[in-house]
Amino acid sequence: MSVAELKERHVAASDTVNSLRERLKQKRASLLDTDVAGYARSQGKTPLTFGPTDLVCCRTLQGHTGKVYSLDWTSEKNRIVSASQDGRLIVWNALTSQKTHAIKLPCAWVMTCAFSPTGQSVACGGLDSACSIFNLNSLCDKDGNLPVSRTLNGHKGYVSSCQYVPDEDAHLITGSGDHTCVLWDITTGLRTSVFGGEFQSGRHTADVLSVSINQSNSRLFVSGSCDTTARLWDTRVASRAVRTFHGHEGDVNVVKFFPDGNRFGTGSDDGTCRLFDIRTGHQLQVYHQPHSDNDVPPVKTIAFSISGRLLFAGYTNGDCYVWDTLLAKVVLNLGSLQTSHEAQISCLGLSADGSALCTGSWDTNLKIWAFGGHRKII
Amino acid sequence: MDKQVEEANPSSSPARAREDGGGGGGGMALPVCFEDKARVGQFPTFIGKHKLAASISHLQNQIDIIQKELDELETIGESSIVCIDLIASVESTSDPLLPWTKGPGEVGWDRWFRGANNSRNHSRWI
Repeated sequence: MSVAELKERHVAASDTVNSLRERLKQKRASLLDTDVAGYARSQGKTPLTFGPTDLVCCRTLQGHTGKVYSLDWTSEKNRIVSASQDGRLIVWNALTSQKTHAIKLPCAWVMTCAFSPTGQSVACGGLDSACSIFNLNSLCDKDGNLPVSRTLNGHKGYVSSCQYVPDEDAHLITGSGDHTCVLWDITTGLRTSVFGGEFQSGRHTADVLSVSINQSNSRLFVSGSCDTTARLWDTRVASRAVRTFHGHEGDVNVVKFFPDGNRFGTGSDDGTCRLFDIRTGHQLQVYHQPHSDNDVPPVKTIAFSISGRLLFAGYTNGDCYVWDTLLAKVVLNLGSLQTSHEAQISCLGLSADGSALCTGSWDTNLKIWAFGGHRKII
Repeated sequence: MDKQVEEANPSSSPARAREDGGGGGGGMALPVCFEDKARVGQFPTFIGKHKLAASISHLQNQIDIIQKELDELETIGESSIVCIDLIASVESTSDPLLPWTKGPGEVGWDRWFRGANNSRNHSRWI
């Protein structure tokens, strides 16, 4: 076949892709007969209201000397690991505010951290393009530093996000600036699978910024990317994404599975959070409210409460909206409370039993928030 | 990531591929070798054909994927059906951060307000 013929075929194929994409977009739109808020209103769902002293800051964890970039709770109740611009991980007992470990990192440019399911190890990654594992029970070296127990090398770009596979300390998933996600075997240090590799279909076409593993079915995880999409992956099928979720108009900075495992939330540079259904692919809800001065600050971090009724979202302007996910209304702005952080909230996480929210901020602190008001019995 | 980090470690900065122009900025050097001439399309080559064929194959994969999804959409329900399921899931789970509870709630939920600071004077916590 001549080059001219190939070029013609290429143009025809591109046109087909574009027209199919348009048909898909229209077909999806026709199936969206309601969003969650519209349906919840039609069912007369009671709006949620918080009094001024309901969600209270009950701890401030001080110790980092640089911006906090990432945090993660243990699967049991009270410990948190945080990562900071100061080049350290700190492990906290959030109940007593004590630091149990302060780990100096081999590469100071850390972006993400995670606690292992048993709580015996922590992982972190960043601009060194590697993921470092630390066993918290190891003996410190002669300089008083906890040694790295394993380094996971293989990414060709920064590691933006990492999470352990539930129920096992042996596997971890990372997201990277090299456009891929990887499932690692920590015991061997080798890549078990690469998601979105060079010759695979349905791959991200830009940096992956976030990953989230389904806690009910740990074979499924979602990734969010600078290519404005989120993708659902099955770890048994690395060759292509299960589904691609379109809708955002900017980088998808964060993805987080909804507690029931059938939905996930996203936060983006376009200033919105969205809720998607993994089984149908439907975009169920857009969470958007103008901020002051008609600002549209990017969403950098999100977390769901244990039932999913609350969505916490941290924005670059310092706001931390608490959304009623069913009625799509902002019920509180943690960022505006007097007790709140003095700079942008960069990371959020709920304790395993859902009783506390931890926020990490560029002001170098972490804060613990809990419900201190009266609970009505219904 | 703040600018200081990117400047200090430019070799692996979080470059946003979407923002990259993709092409050369200033004047391009004149092609001097076979591959360079192929690259600027001065004459067709095996290398150019190979890349075109690979690109067509990739587009065909995308067509298959999108077509499958279109076929799947013929059988899935509207979003309202999913909303019913979502609301049921939310309402069936006890949530310590909500101002209501179905039962007495778990004792551990309020541990953040107990212990040495066994007071509900919240200003002390900050």
